[in-house]
Amino acid sequence: MTVQAPIVSFAGVNKIFNPGSAKETVALRDINLAIEAGSFVSVIGPSGCGKSTLLRLVGDLIQPTAGEVQVKGKPARQARLNQDYGIVFQAPVLFEWRSILKNIQLPMELRGTTPAERDKRARELLGLVELTGFERHYPWQLSGGMQQRASIARALAIQPELLLMDEPFGALDEMTRERMNMELHNIWRQTGTTVLFVTHSIPEAVFLSTRILVMSARPGEIMHVVEVNLPVPRGEHTRAEAAYFEVEREVREWLRRAQGYSS
Amino acid sequence: MSEVSPATAGQDVAARHSVTPVRTLPRWLRRVLAFLLVLALLALAWEGLKWLAGDPWRPESNPFGISHTPPFRAKIASDLNLPHLWDVVEAFGQPSRRNGPPLSAVLLEAALFTFREAIAGFLLGGLLGFLLGTLFAHVTLLERGCMPYVVASQTVPILAIAPMVVIWLKAGWISVAVIAAYLTFFPVAINTLRGLRSPDPMALELMHSYAASRSEILWKLRVPAALPYIFTALKISATASVVGAIIGELPSGIRGGLGGAILNFNSFYISGPQRLWAAIIASAAVGIAFYLLVTVAERLVLRSRPLAVEEGV
Repeated sequence: MTVQAPIVSFAGVNKIFNPGSAKETVALRDINLAIEAGSFVSVIGPSGCGKSTLLRLVGDLIQPTAGEVQVKGKPARQARLNQDYGIVFQAPVLFEWRSILKNIQLPMELRGTTPAERDKRARELLGLVELTGFERHYPWQLSGGMQQRASIARALAIQPELLLMDEPFGALDEMTRERMNMELHNIWRQTGTTVLFVTHSIPEAVFLSTRILVMSARPGEIMHVVEVNLPVPRGEHTRAEAAYFEVEREVREWLRRAQGYSS
Repeated sequence: MSEVSPATAGQDVAARHSVTPVRTLPRWLRRVLAFLLVLALLALAWEGLKWLAGDPWRPESNPFGISHTPPFRAKIASDLNLPHLWDVVEAFGQPSRRNGPPLSAVLLEAALFTFREAIAGFLLGGLLGFLLGTLFAHVTLLERGCMPYVVASQTVPILAIAPMVVIWLKAGWISVAVIAAYLTFFPVAINTLRGLRSPDPMALELMHSYAASRSEILWKLRVPAALPYIFTALKISATASVVGAIIGELPSGIRGGLGGAILNFNSFYISGPQRLWAAIIASAAVGIAFYLLVTVAERLVLRSRPLAVEEGV
């Protein structure tokens, strides 16, 4: 292992919602974490365990109650202000009044990229997510999977070193999901972007990740880290490998424990 | 498909055959036809009432030369209260005063005059409404503090406000526009506020992740999201501004608009009820024209949106 500054780090992070009130909820407790640049890290755990909270902390969409979150060696807030990451939500969140091309250009517009550069880059990205030919379409004219691909392209528009994904394929059917996993894997390989990926699907996590963080039920803690040493590039054959099943079994085992952890 | 019985399949085919010719008519033509149909039904109901309970029909005073004595008598259907439609139509062609231009020319001029005032009021009220809505959307404290007064302003009758405005601003088209604006800013303010708050929380988080400024969020997310709401309000405001302009003309003593015409024909109602009815029709026409204008603008602005195609005129 090379000694390298982590792209994301958590130091003693706690997150409590509505502190001091009757609705006080400890979402995350004592999270310490370092994510290496170029890795694909999945976060998996029982629903309501704080997976999304963890992701939102990295994106500075919410702030920790205690501890510190750093992105690229800077406080998370500074990283957000510098547009150091791209984000993909469970829903595509495309703006219905913008064409697909214009939707993908949005982050570049906000960054002040020139129109010519924006156009060029957006067309490249459409090629990357296999949406060439849909430039002038509007979001509502595309299927759910295509919309989500457009939203991934938008997240990649500013060539971020970090991609945050919050159950991006949760709303898709199984077949589309597997195809999207394949495409995401290829995008990750081609771009070299670090991905932090929240999911509740074990096969998805195993197929995509280099590391899987298993979280316990509320209060969320990182219970276990599974290293996934499956060879890259991965493909259909990966899902048939013995090592794949071995990792899947390990994750499932830890998830079962995670579920029983607090109850 | 195999579950569909031949009987229902047959019905399906029959239904499709009878429906297809209507479906293939262009949308606008279907609209016009529906409008004309309702108009014909209204006219039929109007004259039907006069046939049943109006004044006796004299052959020389109706285009069909019919002589008829209605079986009943009702005051509401008398020639004074409910003139024959052909009399109203005829009135448009006749001079409204001796040796004057035909009523249609007088009303057209009055309608254009009032339309101009209404547009001024509409723009003024629309702008004020948008600014208020935007302000309220950003400063919750201001919304809490001011909204009760904004609502209260709409409970005060415009008839009470109008003379006051004329006293403050002097009689003239400016005070008429202000009175019209008084009726139009409210729906725009309410719907702007609602529309600006309509974006999905995730869309706001997305903008946040780009470190977008407040004004970028406003112009690139909130305002585009609010446009359908704002257009709904503008359609209400378009008709309300015409009403406001007509009412505003009364205390201002402006004679050149529809308000003046209505006042004038009202005081000579006994000698020519059809003239007041003609003025009412002209007023409605101005409101409808303005409404259509806003609808066309809406179509243009929202043409790429998913629901724009489905909503009616």
